[in-house]
Amino acid sequence: MRKKIGSALVVGAGISGIRSALDLAELGYQVKLIDRAPNLGGTLAQLDYQFPTDHCGMCKMLPLVERDSASQFCLRKGLFHENIDIMLNTELVQMEGEPGKFEVTLRQRPAVVDPELCIGCGECSRVCPVEVADEFNAGLAKRKAVYLPVPHNIPNNYVVDLDSCTLCGECEKICPTGAIDFRWEARRQFRILVVDDELIVRDSLKDWLIEEGFDVETAESGPDALDKIAKQAYHLMLLDIKMPEMDGVEVLKRSKDMRPDLPVVMMTAYATVETAVEAMKIGALDYLMKPFDPDTLVPLVIKLYENLERAGEFTMEVGAVILAAGFDSFDPAGKGSNTYGYGEIPNVVTSIEFERIVSGTGPYHGKLVRPSDGKEIRKVAWLQCVGSRDMHADADYCSSVCCMFSVKEALLAKERSNGQVEATIFYMDMRTFGKDFQRYRDKAEKEYGVSFQRGRVHSVELKQLGGDPTIVYMDIDGTAHEEVFDLVVLAAGQRPPAGSDLLAEMTGVDLNQWGFCQLQPFSLSCTSRDGVYAAGSFSGLRDISESVIQASSASLQASRLIHSKGGGLAEASESEVAFRDVSREPPQVMVALCTCGDSLAQAAHLDEVEAFVSDLDYVSQVHRFESICTQEGWSQLEEAMEENGANRLLIGACMPYVYTRKLRDLGAKIGLNPALMEVVDIRTSVFPGNNFSQEQASREIRLALAMGVGKLKGMDPSLSAATPIVQKALVVGGGIAGMTSALGIAEHGFEVFLVEKAEELGGNLRRLYRTLEGNPPQELLEQTISKIQKHPKIHLYTNAKVLHSHGRVGCFITTIEKEDGSGETLEHGVTILATGGKEATTESYGYGQSESIVTQHQLEEQLHSGQINPAELGAVVMIQCVDSREEPRNYCSRICCSSALKNSLYLKEQNPEMNVYILYRDIMAYGFMETYYTQARQAGVIFIQYDVDKKPKVTVENGGVSTVVTDPILGREVMLEPDLLVLSTGVAADGQGQLAEIFGVETNQDGFFQEAEYKWRPVDFLQEGIFTCGMCHSPRNITESIAMAEATAQRALRILATMRVTAGSIVAEVRHVLCSLCEKCIEACPYGARWRDDDEGKIMVDELSCQGCGSCAAVCPNSASVLRGYRDQQIFSVIEGALEEIF
Amino acid sequence: MATTVKIPIKDQNLVSSLQDFFKTMLRDGDITGLMVAQHLPMKSSVMPTLVTDPDKLDAVDPLAPVFPMNAAKVVSKLTRKPLGGKVAVVLRPCEIRAFIELVKLKQGRVDDVVLIGIDCLGAYSNVHYPAFVGEDGMEATARFYRNIQEGKGTACDGFDLSPACKACEYPIAENADVLIGVVGMDIKDHLLAKANTSRGEDLLDNLGLSSTGEPEQRKKEIEKLVAERIAYRDQMFAETSEATADLEKLVNYLSNCVNCYNCRVACPVCYCRECVFLTDVFDHEPSQYLRWAKRKGILKMPTDTVFFHLTRMAHMSTACIGCGQCSNACPNNIPVMEIFRTVAHQTQKAFDYEAGRSLDDEPPLSIFREDEFQEVVAKMH
Repeated sequence: MRKKIGSALVVGAGISGIRSALDLAELGYQVKLIDRAPNLGGTLAQLDYQFPTDHCGMCKMLPLVERDSASQFCLRKGLFHENIDIMLNTELVQMEGEPGKFEVTLRQRPAVVDPELCIGCGECSRVCPVEVADEFNAGLAKRKAVYLPVPHNIPNNYVVDLDSCTLCGECEKICPTGAIDFRWEARRQFRILVVDDELIVRDSLKDWLIEEGFDVETAESGPDALDKIAKQAYHLMLLDIKMPEMDGVEVLKRSKDMRPDLPVVMMTAYATVETAVEAMKIGALDYLMKPFDPDTLVPLVIKLYENLERAGEFTMEVGAVILAAGFDSFDPAGKGSNTYGYGEIPNVVTSIEFERIVSGTGPYHGKLVRPSDGKEIRKVAWLQCVGSRDMHADADYCSSVCCMFSVKEALLAKERSNGQVEATIFYMDMRTFGKDFQRYRDKAEKEYGVSFQRGRVHSVELKQLGGDPTIVYMDIDGTAHEEVFDLVVLAAGQRPPAGSDLLAEMTGVDLNQWGFCQLQPFSLSCTSRDGVYAAGSFSGLRDISESVIQASSASLQASRLIHSKGGGLAEASESEVAFRDVSREPPQVMVALCTCGDSLAQAAHLDEVEAFVSDLDYVSQVHRFESICTQEGWSQLEEAMEENGANRLLIGACMPYVYTRKLRDLGAKIGLNPALMEVVDIRTSVFPGNNFSQEQASREIRLALAMGVGKLKGMDPSLSAATPIVQKALVVGGGIAGMTSALGIAEHGFEVFLVEKAEELGGNLRRLYRTLEGNPPQELLEQTISKIQKHPKIHLYTNAKVLHSHGRVGCFITTIEKEDGSGETLEHGVTILATGGKEATTESYGYGQSESIVTQHQLEEQLHSGQINPAELGAVVMIQCVDSREEPRNYCSRICCSSALKNSLYLKEQNPEMNVYILYRDIMAYGFMETYYTQARQAGVIFIQYDVDKKPKVTVENGGVSTVVTDPILGREVMLEPDLLVLSTGVAADGQGQLAEIFGVETNQDGFFQEAEYKWRPVDFLQEGIFTCGMCHSPRNITESIAMAEATAQRALRILATMRVTAGSIVAEVRHVLCSLCEKCIEACPYGARWRDDDEGKIMVDELSCQGCGSCAAVCPNSASVLRGYRDQQIFSVIEGALEEIF
Repeated sequence: MATTVKIPIKDQNLVSSLQDFFKTMLRDGDITGLMVAQHLPMKSSVMPTLVTDPDKLDAVDPLAPVFPMNAAKVVSKLTRKPLGGKVAVVLRPCEIRAFIELVKLKQGRVDDVVLIGIDCLGAYSNVHYPAFVGEDGMEATARFYRNIQEGKGTACDGFDLSPACKACEYPIAENADVLIGVVGMDIKDHLLAKANTSRGEDLLDNLGLSSTGEPEQRKKEIEKLVAERIAYRDQMFAETSEATADLEKLVNYLSNCVNCYNCRVACPVCYCRECVFLTDVFDHEPSQYLRWAKRKGILKMPTDTVFFHLTRMAHMSTACIGCGQCSNACPNNIPVMEIFRTVAHQTQKAFDYEAGRSLDDEPPLSIFREDEFQEVVAKMH
């Protein structure tokens, strides 16, 4: 695996954090990935289904090249990567230094359960007497105080939630591996000084705390306390504020002079809380509220103790920091009026709660039943914009994802119930602005019968006790309705994550007015602080696809910075490991049994197991080790392996997945390919909870080992070769996306060929003069062009076009025709297609019949050129969604609403007297754009909603234009006679089809490039090594195009960064002598990794593109296509092993 | 409208009239060669011959009630790469259907061939035909048709059709470029030649034959014939299902298998260059046999017989076109066709697929349908 100098910190291990971390790790940087939660995955851990496929696909983020450096299993369960160090329960507490050289301090919350020792047997949880609401199931189920944060993690360690733990100690007693340790002994060494003038307080505190094992002394006054502090050291002082002689604050000050490290916790009554808060500013750690009772006070002190004694603080140097802190969900019962009765009326839930209700891993195992009474759910309402687009809730923004989230949930409910559930979505605007969103929504409505009801719901009421929730809402025409539902789902919007202000202050990044991370103009990842980048929803809620793009944009920025500071992409010195060639030796398997202390010996007949295994073919020896998971145990195993010359190793232990890294290290040490080592789980099946007899347990272990030996003995010992990489990139298209992408790559020191068909660079950006946010596009254009022209690594070809391309990732050969008509052949390792889109033309609404009818783009240009003078215009009508969001162009062009808002605000500003009407279907003012929608309404722009089956009518007579539209609020037709009619025609594809043919990639039905996977691989093509960004992929604005371009650069660098790239050890091969060339395998390959070479008459496999899924091997009738590591013979052996005992 | 022409029958001689037709076709049609079954000297059967000289068509007899091999394999050999000329191939419906499967599996191409399909009233097994045919092959064919014309059916002189043919519900090659119609025609007067494709039209147009229509009688007789065959087939399915209802019965059913693999060699759609059962995959270690034997104290040899047939069903039953050559080739009289067809019927039904019907139907395993087999892959809840 590649290792580079340079490191980064990623804060937050949700989708974005994982994406950023993987990006940087794949480039070779060392990454510290932290999350304050006890589990990876952020919000996604709770979501089983994601549109548009309604499946999960998170694993598609895992590395596609150099696969062996990372885990290759469900990413929801866990992640291992050689270059990523994951720290959970950890927060960033301090950041100093400068970009390229930050010193960060991390604090990890104490772990009562040692993850190294926990084997996940669950005995602790079984005996735990505490039950609290389970966060994973959004509070719909209960969990114990010692619990699994996510039920399916690998490895899945139990954790103790000290907040709810009563410290009864039962779990510690039952833990079979001694992983749980409350450190009662250590408490005796922990000296607490209780300072209070009231004897009763002093005595009771002393009694309680001594009972918990602490060493306690008391002082009756300030001077007494200071006296004691002077004489000896304490570990904690509990200090009363209100004392006669000398008050607590004074004592605190003086104690700090004497013993600055002594942690002090103030004790206060309600009246002096403010003083306590003040005290914290001068160094108190925390405060405790009187009156005390032992049930609350003791756990608080213990928590303090745990934090003080066990919380590991850890300082490290990193080049860059990525903040992927995520978001919090709006609490509908929180601040404000709670008109929807959340938390009060039964069966009113949030979207996340509904997600848990439908989840197979949820409290109802996926059955559609109500949390309150278990009644089958048959009628559900989704209420949109709860805590979003709501000035009263201080949220003049759109949360962007809730519309699609609710459509998906409604669809799921329909699917789950075979259409039995009646699903209604109450909304203001259905914001289907992403690629393919509109068709998904239409599918929900037309195929599944989800009902969409426009209008804001006023309130949810309970008409009778024990009844069902009633929704009170108004139609768009003002008619009031009431309707009863089984369940009401609130699409709760986003809020900044808790503690974001602290995080912002610490890292020096600005927040916007709503508390989200403020981004720099034209960037989706740069914050106000150099070296600190934002990824994902921390800067505003985003769906998975956008989060992934933005996270890669952030990692590119981080990498660019680290590189520029000299932490570059040069290979760190690591000698190539040479494995010994064992292909001519007969297999000799050493079997190592971890006895897990003596617990395995108790559970099973180990001697018998050992005898059985020794007798298996090719097993050369069997060793027992007490605990392989400890350093000592592992050293013994290494020693044994070194001495005996076995060429295969089978370990029988628990949790096979955690050994990946250890095996690699062992392989390097003894020169044996880690592919020849295997770990099988012989522990889980004999957990005490399974109640196996010794015989049964022995059999389980024998089976597991026999299967392991079966697989290992047939393992192909030959080594996988590395593919050489031409470390150059081809970027097709010189618009803002192509230029950004080219710069991203070139700035890492790699050559880029940039091919543009026009005479000048810039593409569509040349025609944009303003943005909605007021940033200057032309300045951006000039700066970018100048950087491109000056960059020595960028070879620019204008007036040039691509004629032909062939090859595979690592080495493409492309011929271009240059300006002078001559051809040139370019060799490159990756390709980026960024050819843009174009404004669609139209024949609708009288376009072309009058000079007073223009497109949005034309309006902007004519305003810029002065051809249109706002002062001369009395009325302007804009029609949105011209020929869009209906077949055949059934997609939202995403930029037209913001263009209309931008242009109408400008017109109003130039001429406030002007009447501006926007005829729209749904205003797509997603995210913080919403505030401009609000501004436009405040400025007097009139918005009239129309339905697609009741479009406005335009008549052109004698050069005059008139428009008739049905105003849904008035309920009648309105005639408008504007001086200017502006048509938002949207974005159309622009010649992608031809390029797709040249490069062997796909386009979608609308002619835009088809990415490998919308959510998880949004900028990749299925063909490895080819990427796409900007409007040729889908309509998007300048900033979004730039972010996507940065993401493609990032994806490209992952391949370009080294001269040779190794595929995974599990790849497919073709045994040509057996192959009949039926090409079934080519059709079956989901990665486009196979093709037929007509010259050779052979089926070829691109090892880098192959992901080892085995579809080809499955479809091949005579095993001409095989998967390394899963040969037929091996699988037969495994089956033999499994059946040995049965037949 | 498809071109339909008359093939006149001279002197009530079905066989020689067809020979004349093919001679004209090779002479006047735009083809370089013709592949058609002929009686060979010294042999009491017919074999496919590739003919370029019209004078070498004197023993042509595609109606002979026998097909010692499924000629789709031969056509596949001819068409794997460009052939260098256009050839018309005269095939039985099951041969055409097998060829279509092979084309889908990239084992042949349709570019250089014109498929001529003749209505098939069935064939005798390779063992029965020599006994039936006597000295004169063409006379035997005439005898076979006379028997049918007289209403005595396809059983003749104490011989009967092979079970595969009796159970075949596809006697008419509707997917051929040119279809030669026999069923329901007055075979003393004329047969039909119908072009189903432009390729077929090109061929027929040059032969100077008068056009005609398809008689109602033909449609009725086809319906009747298919109904009979389906009835026989379903009875066969029921009996075979019963005979193989559990593993023990299945083992008994196949117990005479000696791993000769003749069925696989004879199978037109089994297309692997080298069968997996001949590769190292089944090279069990000698010690393995002893271990197996030890488990129960007895091991039937050879091993892998049931497994062989199961594997072939797994690999090929979606492509099985039911020609019955497997049974024809079995030296030990195992009813291979019966079990293959019974299973193939189920698997093809499961994928809503009909092997050999059309090149436009994609083979089931090459397409991924997200929502199929919900009963198997149902959501986890």
